[in-house]
This record gives sequence, structure tokens and C-alpha cells, in this order.
Amino acid sequence: MAQARALSRAAWARENATEFIQTHVVNIAGGVLFLLLAVFLLWPISAVLVKGVYGPEGFTLRFYERFFTAYYYRSFLNTLLLGVLTTSVCITAGFCIAYLTTRGPRFLRSPLKWLTLLPLIAPPYIFALSIIMLFGRRGFITQLLNLDLQIFGFTGVVIAQTMAFLPLAYLIIENMLTSLDSSLEDSAANLGASEGKILRSITLPLLVPGFLKGSLIVYVMAVSEFGNVAILAGRTPFLAPDIYTIVTGIETDFHMAGTLSMFLLLPVAIIFLVQNYFYKDKGYVTISGKPSYAGPRQMGLLILIPMMIVALTEVGLIVLSFAVVAIGGFTRIVGIDNTFTLAYIVDWRANHALVSSLRVSLLAGLFGAALGILIAYVVVRGKFKGRGAVEGLCLAGFAMPGTVLGIGYLLAFNSPPLLLTGTMIILVLNSVFRFAAVGMEAGITKLQQLSIEVEEASRNLGASTPTTFRRVVLPIIFPAAMYGFIYVFMTTMVSLSAVVFLTSPAYPLVAVFIFQWAHSGYIGLASATTVKVIAIVAVCLGIIQVMSRWTGFSITGEIKGRYGG
Amino acid sequence: MGDEAMLVVNDVHKSFGHVGALRGVSADIAKGELISFLGPSGCGKTTLMRIICGLTKPDAGEIILEGRVINDVPPDRRGIQMCFQNYALFPHLTVAGNISYGLQVHKWKKDKIKARVEELLHLVQLEGLGDRRIDEISGGQQQRVALARALALAPKVLLLDEPLSNLDANLRVHMRATLREIQRKVNITTIFVTHDQVEAMTISDRLVVMNQGAVEQVGSPVEIYEKPRNEFVAKFIGYVNMLQGVVKDTSDASRSAVIDTELGESEIALGDSRLSRGEKIYVIIRPEAIRLDIRKSTGPMNSFAGSIRSVMYAGSTVKYTVDVGGKDLIVDEYDPTTHGIRRMGERVVAEIPRNVHILRADSRTPVLT
Repeated sequence: MAQARALSRAAWARENATEFIQTHVVNIAGGVLFLLLAVFLLWPISAVLVKGVYGPEGFTLRFYERFFTAYYYRSFLNTLLLGVLTTSVCITAGFCIAYLTTRGPRFLRSPLKWLTLLPLIAPPYIFALSIIMLFGRRGFITQLLNLDLQIFGFTGVVIAQTMAFLPLAYLIIENMLTSLDSSLEDSAANLGASEGKILRSITLPLLVPGFLKGSLIVYVMAVSEFGNVAILAGRTPFLAPDIYTIVTGIETDFHMAGTLSMFLLLPVAIIFLVQNYFYKDKGYVTISGKPSYAGPRQMGLLILIPMMIVALTEVGLIVLSFAVVAIGGFTRIVGIDNTFTLAYIVDWRANHALVSSLRVSLLAGLFGAALGILIAYVVVRGKFKGRGAVEGLCLAGFAMPGTVLGIGYLLAFNSPPLLLTGTMIILVLNSVFRFAAVGMEAGITKLQQLSIEVEEASRNLGASTPTTFRRVVLPIIFPAAMYGFIYVFMTTMVSLSAVVFLTSPAYPLVAVFIFQWAHSGYIGLASATTVKVIAIVAVCLGIIQVMSRWTGFSITGEIKGRYGG
Repeated sequence: MGDEAMLVVNDVHKSFGHVGALRGVSADIAKGELISFLGPSGCGKTTLMRIICGLTKPDAGEIILEGRVINDVPPDRRGIQMCFQNYALFPHLTVAGNISYGLQVHKWKKDKIKARVEELLHLVQLEGLGDRRIDEISGGQQQRVALARALALAPKVLLLDEPLSNLDANLRVHMRATLREIQRKVNITTIFVTHDQVEAMTISDRLVVMNQGAVEQVGSPVEIYEKPRNEFVAKFIGYVNMLQGVVKDTSDASRSAVIDTELGESEIALGDSRLSRGEKIYVIIRPEAIRLDIRKSTGPMNSFAGSIRSVMYAGSTVKYTVDVGGKDLIVDEYDPTTHGIRRMGERVVAEIPRNVHILRADSRTPVLT
């Protein structure tokens, strides 16, 4: 009798231990993820900001003093203006195009959408190249129309950044518009509201959270992806290129870089806080459960025509830019010696960098997607306190100007125990933690649609937590992981702002090559290499599309239902 | 409904690609009437609603409001207001903001809007909740806000698309009564779309039963229940026992006929039906019309011996499956507390009433003349 009781008690204890581990797996994973995020985001960022107020003599504000006495405050104002202008134009035009592709004439929707998204597969500074070739002193259009243009300076920079990040704004707003319950607009129409009135009183107010989110992402990109800025700025100072010069120049000054980073970060932090604290729970878009079908609405000409002008201008400029860069890659010296050449496209110098970029991007894509999905699962299903912090930290990585995170990595992982400078790992890690939020957000959306009961059913049938995750959750959030992978892969291939500080001769990156060539005026070489990058990204996406047919996943379908952040 | 029709739906057709959503639907709706369009999912009810209020264009046919064809009148000029299934309340506006939206669009004066909103809040019993946000009120209250918003402009016709389907069972029954009360008070012509037959029966003046894009029967709840025109209507509204049979004999004197059914010979009253000898028919019997007895012998006509095969207790009723010579009859007995519950396998005699509904076997349509 006593023996039996002892036996059952042992069994009970064993059972209980398994139970304990199973229920706590998610929480433990949450803790580990938080630690990872702290080490690879919080630490580097703090390292940068601390540098700004901590000189060899200890705490000091002299770098901040210098910020205001040197020309740097002008860089700050220029950057602020650049960010605000770019963001406003991108959001406005992005909304117009998104409205057309979700509410406009049916035959227009698909072509308009894909042409608008096209720049996503190209390095953002493709537009600096095309602007130089079109409107530079020897540009096609300048010569054709005999113009006297000054593209180097503020205007050129704003145009290039707007062109580069409009697709991102479009993607976010389009997603918001798609998930906006169309019966709200139907209902307003039924109550007698005109299309203009519906736009003003229903559609636009409901999209405010989307606009804020889009603004944050576009602003960050516009002020920190400094390829276009450095190439086109001329003598106009901007923060990100200043930081780049300070860090990579002859007299490296991390303290000043830290100070400038603070000013790069400040406006972003403000938008981030506004978005997260004032609008967090005002996500109106998902209030109704059952979306009713969106019938083709007859758009009034007063709204259709201005929107069409915006859309056609944008699409026209995109096509023109791609065409001119393609031509530039096969022309000896655009505008001076317009003879055909294959010299640039066969130039071997970029090939090593291309391969290296591809490796880094594929690895970053894989790990970035995996990390994002894991965080999503922990955030949605975990029960521990501080889930919000994990999510917020991950998002903060995404909202962080790449320039700041790049310097942060340089400072944080420059010494043991984590001596990573000059390795490929640092490049991969940087992209992984910078973009994991994309996979996370997509994953959270998918998981919130998946009822917890489905998982409970699996556990009830005897599966453990890891088995349930593998057999039930993973297949369902696979599309989100795929989306995360594609985004991280594409962005790592073309992004410059962070990795430019981390690349090394052993692991060169093609984005940095193109930037440096374009910066030094080797337009042909830069164009030809850009063409190669676009081709490679396009081929990779094609392969993924074909491969994923087996699993029933479709890139086009997923991108349709998602957005870039 | 002797009044002149308020709204006429005349032979409306609509197809999406190759799918025929509506195949010639016609109905007359009288002023002040509450009429339900009832049918299974995908029968074309919602499409018809969208056509009536102008959100969808019909391929053919007419919508006539007060004698005027309104096919080409835009949705906002029709005076027909739709309440959407998911309410479609504007989440960024307050309760009062939602209700007054249409009034603001139509440029009413501020003080008139205020008065009208108060009046409507009173009507739907939401006094004092005008300043609440939409996500701060319950599902039933949201439903009432949607109703008030639709009534604000005093439309000629109100369309309710599955208005109660998002509420839980008890609230549904309560809201059904509230809805009917408000509709009577305002005396507004109302079209109610639902797939729930109990809901449709209890709330409506008349029902339009639809199936696969066509109208199967129009009539009062009593007509639809007691005299279904065909097999679909009979089976869609409540449960029916359908017995195959052949007319063995008819008697004009007693207005009755003897039918050789699956159970055996039964005598039925003809009423206004006309049957001829040898005709194949279906006898339609509702579960509550059959009486069970154990004492009676099987002697008289219409009584058949059987045994209880299953028992389902539902409080106010017990539903029995009775095996009568291999044919299952479903029988409802009321008030089991008084009558007691029968046991499985118990021998019983099932007595079929003389007054039954009859459908022809070939066309499965009524034999009414």
C-alpha cells in the first residue's frame, strides 16, 4: 500500500515536471529572446548614445555644444526637413495609388500595383543614378531640352528619397485599405454621403494609424538610407552622410557620431512613442469580424483624375529610372560618349561582392524570419509579464535608423566577449535584428487569426508544446515566415545604411560597392552593377515563387495581404 | 395585405459570371409591412438586398418604389436604408456621431440634429449613451445604434440584412421582440433577411422563402408552415414527416379519401384538395400533429403500432423517433412533466390526424385547386 503510494507519487512528480516544463517552454523562450534582443539591439544603441555624452574625461556635453556651434545643427534641420517632406509626399502619393488599386477601375489595379512596387527589388540609390543620368549637367533630358538644372542639393535629394521609399508607403497603406471593412463606406454612401465626404469623414480618419506607421517607416528610411543623400547632396549637409564621414574618415570620432545619432534618432523616437502609446489600441481596421465583399465602386472624376495624375507620374518616373539605369550600364560615359559597351557588366570587381552579399542576405533572411516568428509566437501565446517589452524592442530595432545601428554594432562588438568586427556574422546579425520585426508582425497577425483552441486540441491529443509548434503552428504561420524571409533578404541585398560600417575586405557587400562607385562618379559601373543586383533579386524571388508552388504559398498573394512593416 | 404595394420587385435577374445568383425574383411589399426573405446561405437574399438598395445593379428586372421604377436612381436618393449584417458602425465616431452621420451629410441644422438624435436614442432605448464610443457598448446596443442610424433620415423602406446573426441566443430572442416593437411604432416598411426560420416566423407579417436564386413561396407564417407549396418549403420550415402514398378511394360525400401509405391505410380529410383514384401523393405531417398512445388498439384507421427508437428530451417537449413497420416517424409530445417520458423500446400506437397537407408525388407541389 505504502509502496504503491510512493510509486504513484514519483509518477505524479515526473508528470508534474513535464507539465511544468511544457507550460513554461514559451515563457523560457520569451526570456531568452528578450536577452538576445537586449544584447543585439539595446546594447549597441546605448553604446552609441553613451558615446555622445561620455568623453575620455567622463560625462560631458561638449559634443552637444559642438553640435550647435559647428554646422551640424544645419545638417539636423536639413535632415528633419528632408524627412518631413519625403514622408508627406510618400504618404500622400502612396494613399492615392493605394486608393486606385483598391477602389479604382479594375483593369488598372494589378499593373499599377506591380509597377509601384518595382523599386523594392532595386537599391534605393538607383534613383540618384537615374536622376544624374536624366537631369545632370550631361543628362539625357537636360541635353534634349537644353535645360539649366541644378540637381545636386536639397531638391535632388528629396526627389530621389521620395521615389525610393514611396513603394514602402504604398505597401503599408494599401494593406490598411484592403483590410478596411468596405461596408463602412457602403453604409456611408447609403446614408447619402458623396465620395469626397466618405473619404474625408470615414476612410481617411480610419487610416490614421496606418499613416502614422507608414510615416515612421518612411521617415526612418529617408533620413538614414543615405545612398541617394550622399550622392546628390552636393554641399548641403545632412546627418547620415555626416556620420558616415565622421566614422569612416581620417579622424574617426565616435563621440561626435554618437551625438549626431541622437539627433537622427530623436524625431523617430517621438513618432514611435506617439504611434505606440496614443494609437496602439485604436486599430480600427479590424473591428468587424466579417469583411463584406468590395464591389467595384464608381469613382467620381474629381477624385479619379488627380489620383490618376499622381499614379501615372510615379509609375512613369519608375519605368524611366529603370530604363535609364539599364541603358547607363551599357553606355561608356552617359552624355559624353554614348557608345555601347560591355565593359561594366563584365567587370569582375563586383562579382565577389555580389556572391558575398547573396550569402549574407540569404542567411539574414532565414534567421530573421525564424527569429521574427519565434518572437511572434512568444508574444501572442506567452503569459509572462514583459511580452510587450519584447515586441516593442523588436519593433524599435526596425524603427532604428540603420546608420545608428551600424555604428552601434561597430562599438559594441569590437571587443571580447563578443568580438565580431570583420566577420560575416556581424553583417548577418545586424540585418537579422534590424528586420526581424517584419516577420514578427506578419506572424502576430496570422497567430491572432489562429484560435488557441486549435493548439489546445493538439495538446489534448497528446502532443507536447514543441510538437504542437512544429506540427500545427508552423504550417499555419509559414506564409508569414516566408514573407519575413523575402523582406529581410531583399532589404539586406540593397540596404546600405548599417552595413556600410560593418563590411570588411573579406566580406565586401555589393550595395557598398555600388554606393562608393556612384559617389565617386563611376556612373556606368554603378548602373551595370545595379542591373546585376536587380536581376539576381528578381531571379531569387522567381525561384522562391516556383518552389513555393509546391507548398501552396504565393508571394503575390502574401505581399497582397501584407505590408512592409 | 390589401394596401397598394410600397415596393415591387419585378422579375429580377442577376448572375456573377456563370453563377446565377437570382433567377427571376418577384415580390410585392405592402406599406408598413415587415416581410422576411428566408432561405439557406447562398440563395441570393443578400444580393437581392444590395439590388434593392442600389449597391448592385440587376441584369434584368425592375425595382419599383411607390409606383416609380428606381433602377437608375443612385443608392443615396432612393429613400431605402440598409442595416448591414456586421452593423458597419463607424468606429471612430461616438454613438451620437453614428446616428447623426446621415443628418450631417444632408446638412441638417445643429439643433435639429440634436433633437432628432435624442428622439432616436429614446426610440431604441439608448438614452444617455450618445457620448459612448462604439467599442464601449454591447453587441445588442450596437445593433440598436445601427437601427437608429438607419432610421434617422426616415427612409421609406428599411432593409435588415441578418441583423441578429451576431448576437448570442438569448439576446437574439430579446432583440427580435425589440426590433418588431420599434418597427411597429415607426410603422416602417421593412425587409428582413435571415436564414433562421424561427426568427422569420416569429417576427414577420409575411415570408418569402427563397432557394437557389428563386422564390419558392410567399405567404403568412401560418400559410408557409401549414400549407407549404413544395417539398423544399415543407422541409426548410421545421421538421416534416413525409409519407409516400397512393389514393385508394375517394368519397365526395364525406370529402375524404383513403390513402395507402407506407404505414398502412389512412383516411384523410380532403378539404379543398382534389384527388383522383390511383394518384401518387406525399402526405405531410408535422411532428406535433401525431399522437402517441399505449392503451389504444390498432383497430381504427390512422392508428399504427410501433416502438420508440429514440428519445430526445428538450424541456417543454420530448422528441421521439417511432419505428412503425420499418418507417421512422418523428413525434413531438408536449409537457412531459405531466405526461411522463416514454422509454426506449416501449410499444406505442401512433395516431395520424385526418387533416394533413398533401403534395403531388410527381411534381411535389400541392394538390390544391
